[in-house]
Amino acid sequence: MNRSFCLFALVIISLVLQSCKDEEPTPVPGKSSATITFDARWEGTPFQIQQVYLDDFGNRIRCDKFMNYFSFIKLVAEDGSEVLVKDFVLADYTGDNSYTAEVPSGKYTALKFGIGVDRDYNKDQDPAQYPSSSPLSVAGSQGMFWVWNTGYIFAKFEGKADTTGTAGVELLSPIAIHAGDDFSYRTFTSQPFNVTIDGANHVFAVHINVDRIFSPDQGNVVNIAQDAITHGGTNPDLTNNFMDNYLAAISLEP
Amino acid sequence: MRWFSVVGILFLVGCAESIQPTLTDSEWTGRVPAGFPEVVYPEDNKPTKLRVELGRRLFYDNRLSGDGSLHCGSCHVLSAAFTDGRTTSTGLHGIAGKRNAPTLVNLAWMKRLMMEGGVPTLETQALAPLHDSTEMAASVMPLLVKLNEDLLLKELTRAAYGRDSIDAYVVTRALACFQRTLMSGDGRYDRYKQGRKDQLNEKEVRGMNLFFSTRTHCSECHSGVFFTDMDYHNIGLAVEYADEGKARATHLPEDIGRFKTPTLRNIQLTSPYMHDGSIASLEEVITLYNQGGHEHPNKDNRIVPLGLTEEEQADLIAFLTTLTDWNFVQNKDLLPLMR
Ligand code: HEC
Ligand code: HEC
Repeated sequence: MNRSFCLFALVIISLVLQSCKDEEPTPVPGKSSATITFDARWEGTPFQIQQVYLDDFGNRIRCDKFMNYFSFIKLVAEDGSEVLVKDFVLADYTGDNSYTAEVPSGKYTALKFGIGVDRDYNKDQDPAQYPSSSPLSVAGSQGMFWVWNTGYIFAKFEGKADTTGTAGVELLSPIAIHAGDDFSYRTFTSQPFNVTIDGANHVFAVHINVDRIFSPDQGNVVNIAQDAITHGGTNPDLTNNFMDNYLAAISLEP
Repeated sequence: MRWFSVVGILFLVGCAESIQPTLTDSEWTGRVPAGFPEVVYPEDNKPTKLRVELGRRLFYDNRLSGDGSLHCGSCHVLSAAFTDGRTTSTGLHGIAGKRNAPTLVNLAWMKRLMMEGGVPTLETQALAPLHDSTEMAASVMPLLVKLNEDLLLKELTRAAYGRDSIDAYVVTRALACFQRTLMSGDGRYDRYKQGRKDQLNEKEVRGMNLFFSTRTHCSECHSGVFFTDMDYHNIGLAVEYADEGKARATHLPEDIGRFKTPTLRNIQLTSPYMHDGSIASLEEVITLYNQGGHEHPNKDNRIVPLGLTEEEQADLIAFLTTLTDWNFVQNKDLLPLMR
């Protein structure tokens, strides 16, 4: 066979392999394991990219991209010890975001994770050091990285809004919330629960209730009509408010 | 020597079908300019002949820009000491504020890169072209696919980095490796310092003495053999800064208008000047310093009216031209291969 064709085929095959998601271990019967799933919701129903929603401020919002990192997803055991389920995850809410790991049998009392990229792995790191299967690599980070101020973008919420809230009006105001820099890292720790994992898989469902991020009920106002653009520190107030509301918008079904 | 490599390469390309070409790498034999400190190279990216060669090829490779219109050398032109003569340029680095393309010399010793110092290493800096095109996750892949279709580049990659394909690691390492070889330290001033007193005339010596005096403070910021303290200062370039400089990264009000002190090597060749290219000539730069800059709350307290006479100002400029390294800007080894 022609040599350059072979090479070309090889490149394509390797790219296809690379772009496949990490092989997640599937739960093995008889072994204790935990699956953490992340999904986004709007008023209790699955949140759809490119669908128009009316928020509590009366803005009509369409999200074109919603992605964020989670760091060090851990279960806390009854004795206080922590079991790592997954180190880094880039969730994009268009497909399945579930992560399974074998865990020791026993009683678990809490789930913990960081929103964003942990401080020790964020600033001044070189994504080219990771294999492309890693969410922190050049390809795996999918644009969630700033070179000029070297560090990861923790969360992106991009889309368009109509701030008059009138049905049928074209959505023209841009939304570009890019949260990043160490100051915007948040840590989620669940309410205490009591779950025994013994020889089976247990699913912990984490919901991001997106409608709660854009609601006046939250202490921090993220009102697209007032403020819709930030690139990390360019608008630290919006970045902080968005991340605080994001944290408050998480609910867990243990 | 160059002809030899051109022929060698044609040979490699021609025979790719039939034989397994083998290139062997060897130590980079370039020399650090006299009086410069030794370079501390990153453990995983020590320079070798083929790494530097691969980096040079990538530096001048249009395939690195998304639409194939630019290469690094489009804005970093050797004859202008790796600047481009334009006021500002936006392009591969994806900077929101528009900036003047800086010179790329003696980067092997720089502590941090970019004008606000937001980038820790040349390796990371070289990610910019790859990363700007990754906003859509897929597009970094076509870029690498294109490079991987180039059998010669692949062969170089194998020999230089022991990897079978050109990935982000290879591209960033090789570009950094080449850029670390851009060493410039052979101006007339340097020869004078090495004892050749005939290299500077009286005017230039007077300018040199002014430059290194407490009357001007020039050498307090443009210090050492690299003519930069690698620190960040506000020199009162403007009353209001459209580009906030270091504050873009730190978000601190006291950092507004602070920029990394640029080197002054080859300064005669790198006009226009300042982060925004707002000053066209060295005469106007000296005029600004002589006036003590513009009012700004963050202005460094060494930037004060200097009271230099016309002649003293001309002396300073004459001195600055002795920092031009003509051998460097005419070094064909730093140009693309086929020109
Ligand atoms: C469209 C013009 C343009 C192109 C193309 C370009 N650069 Fe630059 N470069 C600039 C500008 C402008 C800056 C200043 C950016 C800043 O500091 O914010 C810069 C800064 C740099 C710096 C930092 C220097 C310092 O002293 O901090 C390096 C290193 C560099 N470029 C290397 C490259 C490489 C390698 C490529 C090719 C992959 C490249 N450039 C392509 C315009 C360009
Ligand atoms: C307080 C530190 C400081 C002092 C003192 C200082 N400079 Fe500068 N110089 C800088 C910084 C910082 C810049 C870049 C400013 C910017 O782009 O906004 C600069 C820019 C320049 C430039 C333009 C460089 C380029 O590549 O665009 C020249 C030329 C220059 N200085 C010469 C001098 C001379 C001559 C003196 C003495 C009269 C002097 N400087 C004193 C910090 C200093």
